[in-house]
Amino acid sequence: MRSRAHFGNRLLIILLVAAPVAAQEYDLLIQGGRVIDPANEIDAVMDVAVADGKIVRVAKGVTPDGAKKVVDASGAVVTPGLIDLHAHVYGYSGSIFPDDTALYAGTTTVVDCGGAGWRTFEEFKETVIDVARTRVLSFINIVGLGMIGEPYESDVADMDSEKTAAKMAEHPDLIVGIKTAHFSGEGWPAIDASVKAGELSGKPVIIDDKIFSNTGRHSREKLLDKMRPGDMHTHTFNDRQVEIVSRFTGQVQPYVWEARKRGVLFDLGHGGGSFMWPVATRAAAEGFYPDTISTDLHQSSIMGPKSDMANCITKMMSLGMDLPDAIRRSTVAPAKAISKFPELGTLSEGSAADIAVFRIEEGVFALMDAWKKKRLVGKRLAPILTVRAGAVVVDREGLSVPEWQEAGDYVRVP
Amino acid sequence: MSGFLKVFRGLGLLALALTAVAEQPVIYDLLLKGGQVVDLKNDRNGRFDIAIVGDRIHRVAKNLPAARAKKVVDVSDYLVTPGLIDLHAHYDVTGAGLSLNPDHNSLRNGVTTAVDAGTSGWKGFEKFKTNTIDRAQTRVLALLNIVGAGMYGSGEGGPENDVNQMDVDAAVTMVAKYPETIVGIKTAHYQPSDWEAVDRAVKAAELSNTVLMVDFHPKPGRSYEDLILKHMKPGNIHTHFYGRLTPQLDENKRVQDYMWKARQRGILFDVGHGSGSFWFRIAVPAIKQGFLPDTISTDIHKSSIMLPHATLTNVMSKFLNIGMTLEQVIERTTVNTAKSIRRRDLGHLDEGGIADIAVLELERGRFAFLDSGRAKHIGDRRLTAVLTVRAGSIVWDLKGLAAEEFSNVGPYSNFK
Repeated sequence: MRSRAHFGNRLLIILLVAAPVAAQEYDLLIQGGRVIDPANEIDAVMDVAVADGKIVRVAKGVTPDGAKKVVDASGAVVTPGLIDLHAHVYGYSGSIFPDDTALYAGTTTVVDCGGAGWRTFEEFKETVIDVARTRVLSFINIVGLGMIGEPYESDVADMDSEKTAAKMAEHPDLIVGIKTAHFSGEGWPAIDASVKAGELSGKPVIIDDKIFSNTGRHSREKLLDKMRPGDMHTHTFNDRQVEIVSRFTGQVQPYVWEARKRGVLFDLGHGGGSFMWPVATRAAAEGFYPDTISTDLHQSSIMGPKSDMANCITKMMSLGMDLPDAIRRSTVAPAKAISKFPELGTLSEGSAADIAVFRIEEGVFALMDAWKKKRLVGKRLAPILTVRAGAVVVDREGLSVPEWQEAGDYVRVP
Repeated sequence: MSGFLKVFRGLGLLALALTAVAEQPVIYDLLLKGGQVVDLKNDRNGRFDIAIVGDRIHRVAKNLPAARAKKVVDVSDYLVTPGLIDLHAHYDVTGAGLSLNPDHNSLRNGVTTAVDAGTSGWKGFEKFKTNTIDRAQTRVLALLNIVGAGMYGSGEGGPENDVNQMDVDAAVTMVAKYPETIVGIKTAHYQPSDWEAVDRAVKAAELSNTVLMVDFHPKPGRSYEDLILKHMKPGNIHTHFYGRLTPQLDENKRVQDYMWKARQRGILFDVGHGSGSFWFRIAVPAIKQGFLPDTISTDIHKSSIMLPHATLTNVMSKFLNIGMTLEQVIERTTVNTAKSIRRRDLGHLDEGGIADIAVLELERGRFAFLDSGRAKHIGDRRLTAVLTVRAGSIVWDLKGLAAEEFSNVGPYSNFK
């Protein structure tokens, strides 16, 4: 017995000694960037090494010998791939295929926010989730048919908590919560059915609720009585859904602070209609920022306010949030909100090698809100390179590839 | 006063009145002020203002009065061109799997007209039209695939290899049904080594009196030389001609004689950058020898949009950095492209014409451009679309040139 244990220890020692040698065979080494990994409280110039689709080392002075590809990131910012908690890549009429917008913004994970319901989820999986290079997750719509407009989205008969929870149980890794949106009927059936599905599945609910004067619903009751800690209110800087900032006092509503205290999360959900400078500047003046930064990505949000993740982070920085904090709310915070941490949202060794590289550009930039009003700022976060599951998928500066004159009769350069 | 004089005076007053109506100042909906206008169809390359009324270009002239315009946008730092035309795109987003959404991939890059190059055939075209073409802000035109099913695969047993799918009459009927939208025929990806796909597509284009675009994989017994000298007709377009599989250069990187001969007989050569059809090691020597593309296009789709970043402004920038002039690049994305699809209503800034306009920035700096082999070329100029006007409306405004600063506009949204 004793000698076997002894042998085991020796094996362990051999493995430990051997490990650094094996780790040098990196697929990719990103050198010399300012690494911001809020989950690990890292904000320093370091190297990030990748092998087999995972982060294998984050340290200073990693030797590049044996790395198949080396990217010089000096002067750039290296972060975990961003997680966009609110995107539309299926179902909704404005939804768009994610790769050409998300990956170009440094976003490696999008959560489709209610495009599919339990009836349409399989088609969503086949046509988008399984096809996209972007990691696509889902908040499943409490409406069985998903986000397909009226009258379907207000059809209480199609809000089946059990069937929704059953579909969630079939895809526990892909479906991370429940979405309810656009319900224009009276009372609480949509929100109640969503919370019930949340209880059955053990997952959070994300709510986009139009508060009309004739619905019999009030934001205070929703945030304080209906939502559970960990549930999310999206479209935080909108002024028509929940009135974060009172139109009468210009101040953040007391019940909003109370809801935050009890663990309700506030998600940005910028979109084409849910970010107004008058709201955002007033809330920020009181230190009320969204817990998670997200885009509500869809056709008109890209064309008008250009609100991809990098743009939203730039906006938050213009409101006084510092860069590491903005990265935290775009990586580890959303990962935790959907119970995907530490698999996602960090550069910890062993995590998925989803990485974003940015430059901080100086110049004059117009940041547009949903009303096409601009705010001029002097710096922005500009995405230049994105790594998804260990592969470079976006490279605007050609940092990961050789010049063609050096490459001979290449078919694909290494 | 005699009757005659009365009539005469009456006529005179009427003439005066008519003159007054004609001279009443027109209010411009939009005035693009002071840009460097490059409109090669009209031999313009200089500083002009452009006045827009409704969806039309009203006037192009120097010093148009700003006071007449509801909105004035100062574009004096930029180039102003006709809305760009991308001759080769894939936007049938609810059809075959390779397609992307048209609007943000076009309008953000100055493209106001995109030609879908055969993603759908006659069987799927109407679905494409309903789901995408009719809903897009971009003008999406189409080359109809000679394969009825469209681009659903050319692997073993794929419909793109199936001659029975190539129903000339059905294609011609569909073209005739949508003459405003379908500008021609496409054949692509055909793997068997006979000429059936090309010949049927040529026939469909002839019968429908439209243009043909060919994507061609040479095979033993089916040579590229025969394609462009014998099978294709003048005015037909070969796309992907800088591709790795197209024998456009000899072993000494000299442009083959048959390329020049084909050009002489009227065959058009389109870039169709894509994921596998633009190589610096091929394009640079060809351009050095003077073999320029007739049209510059992207072949934008799910894969080409990634590392090679085949957006039209980026593809134009590549050519700008390997020996072509700005005018040559703009010509091949506006007036030449419009001519190649026989759409003379597009590709220019004629007064009275549709107000599709691109405002482009020519940035100077150090930029990297990747080709289909993922090798890079370092260049010093890059074109970016700053503002795009489609049918008179500003649909893309990168720098907020037409937007007001929020703190200047007083209360808005629900704030009082």
